[in-house]
Amino acid sequence: MRFLLINHLQNARQSLRSNRMRSYLTMLGVTIGVASVTIILSLSSGAGKIVSDQVDALGGNITVIRPGSPQNAVTDLTHIKAQQSFSASSLTEYDLGVIKNIKHVAEVAPLVVMSGTIKADNVAPSDSLIVATTPELATISDLTVKTGQFLDTTINQDTVVIGPQLAVNVFGTDQAIGKSLTIHGKSFVVIGVLQRANNPINYNSVDFDNAAIINLQTGKQLGIGQPQIQQIDVRSDSIANLSQVIIDINKALLVSHAGENDFSVLSGTQIAQPTSQLFFAIAGATTAIASISLLVGGIGIMNIMLVNVAERTREIGIRKALGANNGDIAAQFMIESIAIGLGGGICGYIVGYLAAFGISTFLTFQPAINWQIAGIAAFISVIMGTVFGLYPAFRASRKDPIESLREYN
Amino acid sequence: MTKIPKNPPVIELHGLKKRFGIGDAEHFALDGVDLTINNGEFIAIMGPSGCGKTTLLNILGLLDRSTDGEYKLDGREVSTISARHQAYIRSHQIGFIFQSFNLIPRLSVIENVALPLTYKGFLRTKRLKIASRILHNFHLGEREYYMPSQLSGGQTQRVAIARALVNEPSIILADEPTGNLDSRSSHVIMEELSDLHKQGNTIIMVTHNPRLTSYASRVITMLDGKINTDTKGIDDDMAPFADAWSTSVKKHKKVKLVRPWGKRHHKSRAVLVSSGRRKK
Repeated sequence: MRFLLINHLQNARQSLRSNRMRSYLTMLGVTIGVASVTIILSLSSGAGKIVSDQVDALGGNITVIRPGSPQNAVTDLTHIKAQQSFSASSLTEYDLGVIKNIKHVAEVAPLVVMSGTIKADNVAPSDSLIVATTPELATISDLTVKTGQFLDTTINQDTVVIGPQLAVNVFGTDQAIGKSLTIHGKSFVVIGVLQRANNPINYNSVDFDNAAIINLQTGKQLGIGQPQIQQIDVRSDSIANLSQVIIDINKALLVSHAGENDFSVLSGTQIAQPTSQLFFAIAGATTAIASISLLVGGIGIMNIMLVNVAERTREIGIRKALGANNGDIAAQFMIESIAIGLGGGICGYIVGYLAAFGISTFLTFQPAINWQIAGIAAFISVIMGTVFGLYPAFRASRKDPIESLREYN
Repeated sequence: MTKIPKNPPVIELHGLKKRFGIGDAEHFALDGVDLTINNGEFIAIMGPSGCGKTTLLNILGLLDRSTDGEYKLDGREVSTISARHQAYIRSHQIGFIFQSFNLIPRLSVIENVALPLTYKGFLRTKRLKIASRILHNFHLGEREYYMPSQLSGGQTQRVAIARALVNEPSIILADEPTGNLDSRSSHVIMEELSDLHKQGNTIIMVTHNPRLTSYASRVITMLDGKINTDTKGIDDDMAPFADAWSTSVKKHKKVKLVRPWGKRHHKSRAVLVSSGRRKK
C-alpha cells in the first residue's frame, strides 16, 4: 500500500507557496471566522472561570437553586437564553422554608430581583437593580460593607444597603449613611454602603456595586405580592456535606413542587455559567459575525480551489499519465484545501487571542486559555477545509486525462 | 544486441474502434485496428493528421478507452481492469513522452523527473536520489534545479524522457517526441530512444517525420483510423523514405559520432537499467 500523505503535504506546501498572495487572502477569511470563535470562547470561559473562582473562594460549599429545569452545558453555549425573563419564577417563599429545615444547611439567602426606580437627589440609571434578600446573603456571597452595616432582622425593616456606584449615582458621594432614598415610592434609610467589588459577573447575576439591597419582607410589601425568587443561595455547614445537601434539596423541592422538576440545583462549575445580559448580547453578535465569516471564508476556499483545479488541469492530466489515480488527485487537492483551512485557523487562533486580551483590558476578567478552545479552533478549520474542498477535489479527480493534456498551458 | 527468439506479445489489438461524437457528428478515429506488438520492438507509427495515431497511443497508454474491440496488455483484457489498477499499470509499466514535453512548469527539473515515483509511493529523498542519478545519465546533472522554462527544447525533451524512464517502464509511448525540436536536437532524442530500444524496452512512437523511422524496427502507417502498411525490418526496405532522407540521415549519423558524451554514459546506464531489471 502506498503511503502518499507526506508527498501530498509537500506538494500542497509547494503549490500554496507558488501562489502566496492568493493563499494568504483565502486564509484571511478562515482567520477572521476562527478569530471570532476564539474570542467568544476564550472570553466566555474566562467569565465562567471568574465565577467558578468566586465559588471556590467562598469555600466550595455553596449550592445555588435556580428556577427552570436543568440544562446541559452544550445548550448553554449554543442556546442563548436571557435571564430574568417575564415568566413567573417557580421558586417560592415556601421553598425557602423547606430548604432551611434540611439537615446540614447552614445558611439560605433568596435573591428577588425587582424592577422599579431608585430615587434620591438623582434618579438612578435604569441598570441599577433592586434586590430583596435576607441578611444571610452577606456571608454566603461574601459581601463586605465599607461603611455602616448589612441588613439585620433586628432593626427597622425600611432600611437599605447600597452599592458604592449606586451611592455615587444617586447621592453624588459614597458617604451615604443615614440618607434616605425612595424605591417604588417607598422611603428607605441607607444603613450601609458596600465595598466596591468591581465584579459585575458573578454567580448571583447581580452587580452589587450598582444595586440596592432591601429586606425580603419589605420587598414583598412593595406591591408585587408573591416575590419572584430568581435564585436561592445555600451554604452547607461543610464541604463534605454539600453533596448530601444537594440530594436532600432536590428531594424536598420535588415534594413541595408536586413532583414537577421545574428547578435546578447547581454546584461547582455548573454555577459558573456566564449570566450577564450584556455578555450574552456581545456573544450573540459575535456568534453571528463568526458564522457569517466562516461561511464566507469557506466559500472563498472553494472558489480558490476551483481556480486551482482549472489552472492545473494540464498538470492533472500529466499526473494521471504518470500513474496517479483519481484518489491521488482528489487527495492532493483535498490536502491543499485543508492546509488553507488549518493555516487560516492557526492564524485565527492567534489573532483571536490577541483580540481577546485587547478586549479584556476593558473588562473585569481575562480570557481563558485551555486546550478545548484550541481543539475547537483546529476542528472548525479542518472541517472547513474538508467540506469546502470536497467539491473542487472531486472535480479535479474526474478530469479526463486526454482532455486535460490538450488544455492550453 | 541479442534477440530473444520468441518475444511474447505485449500488446494485442483486435478490431479496436474509437468513436468520437454522436449522431451526425459521429466519427471513428479508430476504425478496426488489428495489431500485435512484441516485447522489445521499436515501432514508428506514421500517417497524416487525424488518422488516429494519437488516439491509438492514448488507448495503448490506458489514458483512453476504446469504444469497441479487444485490447490485451500482457495477455490481460484491458476493459476488465479497474481504473485504479490501470493507474497502477501506468505508474509501473508505461512511460509517456509527449510532443509538448508536458513538464509541470512550477516544479524544478529534478522534481519533474521524480514525479512518477511519487505514485509508486517512494519517499522524497529516495525519489530525488533516483531522479538525480537518471538526470546525470542524461548529462543534465547540472540542470537539476533549473525550472523547465530555463531549458532549451532539446534539454526539456531529454528531461521528459528521463521522467518517462524513471519508473523503469517496459513500454515507452512517445507522441511526436521531436515534433517541437530542431533536427539536431531531434537526432539526439532519437539516439536516446534508440539506446533504450537496444536495452530491451518496447517503444511505440508516433511521428510525422519519415526520417525518424530509420531508427525503428517496424514502421506502421495509418490512414483513416485503419492500419495501412506494416513494415518490419525497415533498414533497407524503406526505399521511398530512405531516398528522400538518406543524405540527412548520414549527416546525422555524423552528429551522433560527435556527440560530446560519446559512449561512456551508455555503459553506465546500461548497468543501471540492467541492474534494475535483475531486481524484478
